Amino acid sequence: MARPMGPVRLRRTNPVTVIIGIVLCTFIIYFLSNTGSSSRPTTSKGRSINSKPVPKSNLAHIRRDVQRFNLNHVTITKDPIANREAVLILTPMARFYQDYWDNLLKLSYPHELITLGFIIPKNKEGNAATTALQAQIAKTQKSSANKFRRVIIERQDFDPPLASQDESERHKMENQKVRRAAMSKARNSLLFTTLGPDTSWVLWLDGDIVETPPTLIQDLASHDKPIIVPNCYQRYKDDAGKPAERAYDFNSWQDSETAQELASKMAPDDLLLEGYEKLPTYRTLMAYMELDDKEQGAEVPLDGVGGTALLVRADVHRDGAMFPPFPFYHLIETEGFAKMAKRLGWQATGLPNYKVYHYNE
Amino acid sequence: MMSRHHSGAYANGYPRPNTFEISPHRFQPRASTPATRRRRKLLVRVAIAIVVAGLFACFVWPGTASFVSIFSLGLLSSDTDGLLDTVRYYDLSNVQGTARGWEREERILLCVPLRDAEPHLQMMFSHLRNLTYPHHLIDLAFLVSDSKDRTLDVLIERLEDQQADEDPKQPYGEISIIEKDFGQKVNQDVESRHGFAAQASRRKLMAQARNWLLSATLRPYHSWVYWRDVDVETAPFTILEDLMRHNKDIIVPNVWRPLPDWLGGEQPYDLNSWQESETALTLADTLDEDAVIVEGYAEYATWRPHLAYLRDPYGDPDMEMEIDGVGGVSILAKAKVFRSGCHFPAFSFEKHAETEGFGKMAKRMGYSVVGLPHYVIWHLYEPSVDDIKHMEEMEKERVAKEAEEKEKAEKEKKIKEQFSDTNSQWEKDKTEIQNLAKEESKKEAKAGGDAEKPDSKNTKKESSGTKDEAKKAES
Repeated sequence: MARPMGPVRLRRTNPVTVIIGIVLCTFIIYFLSNTGSSSRPTTSKGRSINSKPVPKSNLAHIRRDVQRFNLNHVTITKDPIANREAVLILTPMARFYQDYWDNLLKLSYPHELITLGFIIPKNKEGNAATTALQAQIAKTQKSSANKFRRVIIERQDFDPPLASQDESERHKMENQKVRRAAMSKARNSLLFTTLGPDTSWVLWLDGDIVETPPTLIQDLASHDKPIIVPNCYQRYKDDAGKPAERAYDFNSWQDSETAQELASKMAPDDLLLEGYEKLPTYRTLMAYMELDDKEQGAEVPLDGVGGTALLVRADVHRDGAMFPPFPFYHLIETEGFAKMAKRLGWQATGLPNYKVYHYNE
Repeated sequence: MMSRHHSGAYANGYPRPNTFEISPHRFQPRASTPATRRRRKLLVRVAIAIVVAGLFACFVWPGTASFVSIFSLGLLSSDTDGLLDTVRYYDLSNVQGTARGWEREERILLCVPLRDAEPHLQMMFSHLRNLTYPHHLIDLAFLVSDSKDRTLDVLIERLEDQQADEDPKQPYGEISIIEKDFGQKVNQDVESRHGFAAQASRRKLMAQARNWLLSATLRPYHSWVYWRDVDVETAPFTILEDLMRHNKDIIVPNVWRPLPDWLGGEQPYDLNSWQESETALTLADTLDEDAVIVEGYAEYATWRPHLAYLRDPYGDPDMEMEIDGVGGVSILAKAKVFRSGCHFPAFSFEKHAETEGFGKMAKRMGYSVVGLPHYVIWHLYEPSVDDIKHMEEMEKERVAKEAEEKEKAEKEKKIKEQFSDTNSQWEKDKTEIQNLAKEESKKEAKAGGDAEKPDSKNTKKESSGTKDEAKKAES
């Protein structure tokens, strides 16, 4: 009523309001940055991590140089360290085991030559594994000593066929075809997007391999074989509570006449799987081939290989040897891989006395 | 009663000069700002200083990078951080490939295998310049293998020009050149390339080369892979979008080639895109494990319907046809096909190798494989040895015919010249005769007849006649 004519004067702000505002702003900023860095690593960290490779329109007019790679100069030899050969370690991962990571860090092959590749399914379990894995990666890559050359994490673009990863459910024969086809696709997706022009060796190491000799890569490479697979065992406590070990991976075998006869009678889409009582194949399994003399370097030729730990020359994969996600000569995944490699002229070799250990569920 | 004109009031609206009243109407500048307001100003200044200092600190000390990204709305990313340089995260479900990839900024890997391809590079780069798909979304991958000419040097030169082009829309994304020699014995010339005996081993080597190129360059951020041969002569600029619109896992256009008129003008070129037939399946069963069925040779009569032969020049270019074997001249495939392991078999896969085996394997893995019978791109015409022989003969004939025609033309010309000569001669003679006749008549009129003149006229005429004959004999 009594306001004089002229510009409207603002009401005087109470200093308390200003203080509350500042405090609130601080809180909002704090929580924004906090959630961004720790509680939701899969999304926000991913975003900051892949902000470079994922192209956006603001990258439209960047002029990139022509890159040349001479694959004639990529060596694959018995002595990979002396020749500075790049190794790609590929791991399809469903669950994260701390022992796996610790064992990986213990590998004595120069870490600056190692690229790690992971592929993880897109489900709840996979999210948990990704979070745990990323925490460990961040820890390792920040330290300059043990740092790996590159780490690539990929999430699958298809749903895993089984909800459960339980031991009993996983090994049911009916589920095997679907499960291993999905596994093959995951392996292939990881392989063909991470295999670089300078890679010499590819080491397949499952996420549940918790113990290997630290010189694993050098030892396997020293045999100078295109495909080489150690024997995969599992440590457990026997009834008396004493530590013991047993064979775990039955996918490394030498073919038998019985198996070939069985295969010849099968429909083209049928699978001849190993380790099931319903279908005895009488193949010679590497798991039971352990020799008494304990000679670590003993070699045996193989017709099927397991993928728990597997060293492959990059050439073999480049020629096209992949993990068939369909029955290929009645074989699938790693066993099919050995067959396909053979069709391309590469022979698989096994080391029955050289052991790696699987996690005990 | 109160007086209306008392001294303190303002009767005419103006205060009286000698009044002691304080008038509210008079402007009075403040002596100084009030103390409270001065204090507030100071506080604001201090607060601004603190905020500026805080922001500055964010830039100076690492570890507070997340604060920076909030204030800068993510424009200043923390890529410079050493940790993040070595770690990458990709969600493959973001790169599935859709019908309108250019709108969703989907990246394409364009693969070109090259061998002794120097003469074709210029043509290929003119195609690259014209592609309408956003260039920065296309990564180029070249494999140069076993080349004896300057393929590599010319390729690098051309690529550098392309990347340095004035037009900001011209440069491509990542460009990789892979060099690898497989020690191929088979020659690349047309005869040995298309001979039947060489096919199986040649196709296996080609497959190997394609696999090496793809496995070295495919990355987790690619949504599509496009295979293109260097010797495509004519193709629509919009080919990538045209093929992508169909949203199929694997899609190929029809490939024809132009021919010289004497060979019929045009011809189906790529016979590797076909539908499977019962005959071929039965044939496959009789062959041994390593045999490779190749299309277009009398040795293997498969009776398959070929994409190439189904072309109707006026047909709907969007018409689709399910196929089982695929030709390699121009293949657009979703990257997920290759990611899941489908590749060009360098061995006999269901009795096929390379691109045909690729089609077979993709079918086996449940992908859609489609050809467009009425959407045509044109392959370069390289004449075969027979064609060249035939063309040489035709050239000879043509030269002979030309020479003959030239001769004929010359003859005609000469004849014409001679005719015009005689005409002028006649005219000349005529006037001379007339003159002579006049003179004579004058002479006659003056001094009577002289018999010599008409004789000279006759001899002149005879001499011109002999001249004509001589000329004819000459020609």
